[in-house]
Amino acid sequence: MPDPRGVRVTLAPGSATLDVPPLVLEPAQIPVAPAARVTARGLLGGTAPIRPAAPPDPDGHRHVLLNGEPAEAELILLDGVRAILARGGPAGTRDRVLILPPAPALGAARGVARREVVAGGWRVELEVEPAARAALRERARRGREEVGHSGPTEVHAIIPGVVISVSVAAGDAVTAGQQLLVVEAMKMQNELRAPRDGTIGRVAVGSGTTIEVGDLLLVIS
Amino acid sequence: MATSRSEPATAPSLRKDESGTPPFRRVLVANRGEIAVRLIRACHELGMEAVAVYSDADAGAAHVRLADVAVRLGPAAPSESYLRIEAIVGAALDTGAEAIHPGYGFLAERAAFARAVEDAGLAFVGPPSESIDALGDKLHARRTAHAVGVDAVPGTLEPAPIDRADQVAGIVADAERIGFPLLVKAAAGGGGRGMRRVTTAAELPAALVSGSREAASAFGDGSVYLEREISPARHIEVQLLGDVEGRVVALGERDCSLQRRHQKLIEEAPAPGLTAEARARLHELAVRVASASGLRNAATAEFLRAPDGAFYFLEVNTRLQVEHGVTELVAGFDIVREQFLLAAGRPLSAAAIAAAGRAASPTGHAIEVRLSAEDPARDFAPAPGRVLRWTMPSGPGVRVDTALEAGDRVPAEYDNLIAKVMIHAGDRDAAIDRLRRALDETEIAGIQTTLPFHRFVARDPSFRAGDLSTGWVGEHWDGPGEYRRAVEVAQLAAGLAAMDAAVAAGGAMVASVAATGTATATPTDGRWHRSGLEAAHDRWPR
Repeated sequence: MPDPRGVRVTLAPGSATLDVPPLVLEPAQIPVAPAARVTARGLLGGTAPIRPAAPPDPDGHRHVLLNGEPAEAELILLDGVRAILARGGPAGTRDRVLILPPAPALGAARGVARREVVAGGWRVELEVEPAARAALRERARRGREEVGHSGPTEVHAIIPGVVISVSVAAGDAVTAGQQLLVVEAMKMQNELRAPRDGTIGRVAVGSGTTIEVGDLLLVIS
Repeated sequence: MATSRSEPATAPSLRKDESGTPPFRRVLVANRGEIAVRLIRACHELGMEAVAVYSDADAGAAHVRLADVAVRLGPAAPSESYLRIEAIVGAALDTGAEAIHPGYGFLAERAAFARAVEDAGLAFVGPPSESIDALGDKLHARRTAHAVGVDAVPGTLEPAPIDRADQVAGIVADAERIGFPLLVKAAAGGGGRGMRRVTTAAELPAALVSGSREAASAFGDGSVYLEREISPARHIEVQLLGDVEGRVVALGERDCSLQRRHQKLIEEAPAPGLTAEARARLHELAVRVASASGLRNAATAEFLRAPDGAFYFLEVNTRLQVEHGVTELVAGFDIVREQFLLAAGRPLSAAAIAAAGRAASPTGHAIEVRLSAEDPARDFAPAPGRVLRWTMPSGPGVRVDTALEAGDRVPAEYDNLIAKVMIHAGDRDAAIDRLRRALDETEIAGIQTTLPFHRFVARDPSFRAGDLSTGWVGEHWDGPGEYRRAVEVAQLAAGLAAMDAAVAAGGAMVASVAATGTATATPTDGRWHRSGLEAAHDRWPR
C-alpha cells in the first residue's frame, strides 16, 4: 500500500487521446539518509509505513517518491496560481506552471478533485485523489475485470460543432480508420474515423445534429 | 462634403488640401474580434468615430465596448449576423457612418458587399468591387498574371466541370499533364477551405466533389480547379497599396511558410534569405499583377518560391491581411491608417512612398505568431471554450493584437484566432530570442491554444536557420510527444500542490488531500470540507 499521505494524479478522462500512466507521489519518510534504501525496504516489506514526513531540506530541495522511485522535486508557489516546479535539486530543471483552483470531478467519486494545470502552454486536466484510496479501488476493479471484457466502444465528440454527414448506419461493418462522419466546427470540416474494427451498434446523431464535447456519437461493438 | 465622399474615385483633388482633417467623420467596422479592435483603434487615432456591429454571441465583446456606437445584427451564426450585407449597410446609413471597413474574413472579399456599400453612397475601405470580382476569383487572377507575363503556379485556368460525369476523363487528363501530387483548390477560396491534396488519379473525382462541397458551404461557390503542388515551397506574399490615380507600390514581403492545413501559423518580414535583387524582382512582379487589375487601396499578392528560387504567382487577396502587422513593424508605417486616407480619395502619402522606397533593403525584423484556440496535440483541432486566465506578453518590441480578456468565451461559431503576438527587433536572431521570451511570459488557461507549438518553433534550430517550407510543421512538430512531456510536469506539480495543501491544512486529514486547494483554498470551505470529511469516513472503494 502506498503511504497514506500519498496522492495519485491521473489524466482526466476525456481530456486526451493519450495513454499516460498515473503518477503516484508520496512523501519521503524519516529517516531520510539515504532516502532511497529506506523507502525501498518499506515498500517491499508490504507494510504501510506511517511515519512523519521528512522536514524540508535546509538547502531548499525536497525528497519525494515518484511511483516508488526517490526523486527531488519541489513546488515553489509564486502566488495563488503561478508556481515553479523545481526538479533534480538546485542544479536541476525548473518549469513554470499555472495551477488553477480545483473543481469537482465530473461523475467521479467523492474525494477526487479535478485540477487544470498549464505547463509550457499545454492545458492539462488532471484528477487528484489519495493514493491509498486509488489503490484500493484499482484492486476492486481488477477483481471485477477478471470476468473478461471486450465490450462495445462508445465514440464521443471531442470537439463541438454540427454533424454534416454520417457515412455509416447501424449494422455496418467498419475497419479502423474508416470515415464515420463529418463534423463542421469553426468552418472547418473534420472527418471522424473509426478507432477500431467492428460493427456499428448504434448511431446517436444525424446530419445537422449540433454536438457538444462528450456527446455520444455512435457505438462500435 | 457628403457628395465628394460618395464618389471618392472621381474627386481626389478635392481632398488633397485636407490632409490635416480626418478622412471621414464616422466609420462602420464590419467585423469582430482582434481585427475589429485594430480598426477601431486606427479610427480613433485619425479622429474618427467608430461604429461596431455585433451578433448575440458578441454582445459584450471588446470591439463593442471600444466603439462609439454599436449595432446588433442578429443571432450568433455568421449567416444571420456578420454576413448580412443589407443589415450592415443599413446600420451604416442609420448611424451616419460615411465609410465601411470590412477587416478580413466575413465579407471582406465579397464583391457584392463592396458594390452594396458603393451603391449606398458610402466609401468601401478596400479595393473597388470590380477589383475584388476580378482578383477574388483565383482563376481570373491566374489568367491576369499570365497575360502580363508573370508565371502562375502550373495548373488549369478554367473551373473543373465536376458535375458532368462525361467530363471526368478530361479532368484526369489535365491532372496527368500537371503531374501528381496536385491540389484541388476553390476558385473563391482562402484559408485552405475547399482544398484537397491528390496523389493519384483514382483519388481525384472524390477530392473534386468533397472540395467543391466544402467550398460551396464556405463561400457559396463550388468552383474548383487544379494546381501543381510545389514542394518544398516557401509561401511569400507582397503587401501592396494603390491610390485612385492608379499608382501601386509594394511595402515589402512577408514569409508565411509555416502553415498547417494551409492555414498560416507564423509570419515574418522580411522573408529570410532573399537577396536584395530577388526581393526587388518579387516586388516588381507583384506590382505588375496588381497594376494590371486596377488595384486600389490595400491588397496582397501571394507567391510560392520553389527550391530553385523561382517565384510562382498564387493569388491576390483584396483585403487587409491578418499578418499586416509585421509589415507595419518593419516598414515603420501604419497600413490601416493609410487605407482610410486612400478610401477617402487621397493619393498615396509621402510616408507610404518613402516606406516603399525602403522595401527592397529593409532594416529590422518582425515575427508574428497566431495564437489560436486549437489543440496542437490533436492535429490542431478547434478547441473553443471559456478563457479562465490570460496574461499577454509585453516589454520591448512586443505588440499584441487581441480582443480577448480573461472570462471571455471563444465562440465556436467564428474563426479561432484569439491573439496575434508580434515581435520587432534589430535582426532575425534578436527577434527570435525576443519571441521566445515573450511566449514564455504568456499565460492562458481554460482553453488549449497553439502556444506550445509557437514556443517549440521559437526554440527550434531549423527555424532559426531560416530553413522554412510549407511542409515544415509536418516534418518537425510532434504534438503528442510534447504534450506527454507537459503532462508529466503537470502531474508532478498537481501532486505536490495537493500534498503541500494537506500539510498546510494540518496533515492529518489524509482523504481530504485532493479536495483541498492550494494555499488559496481555506480548509473550512463548506462544500469541499464536507466532501473531504465524507471521503475520510467512506474508506471502502465504490
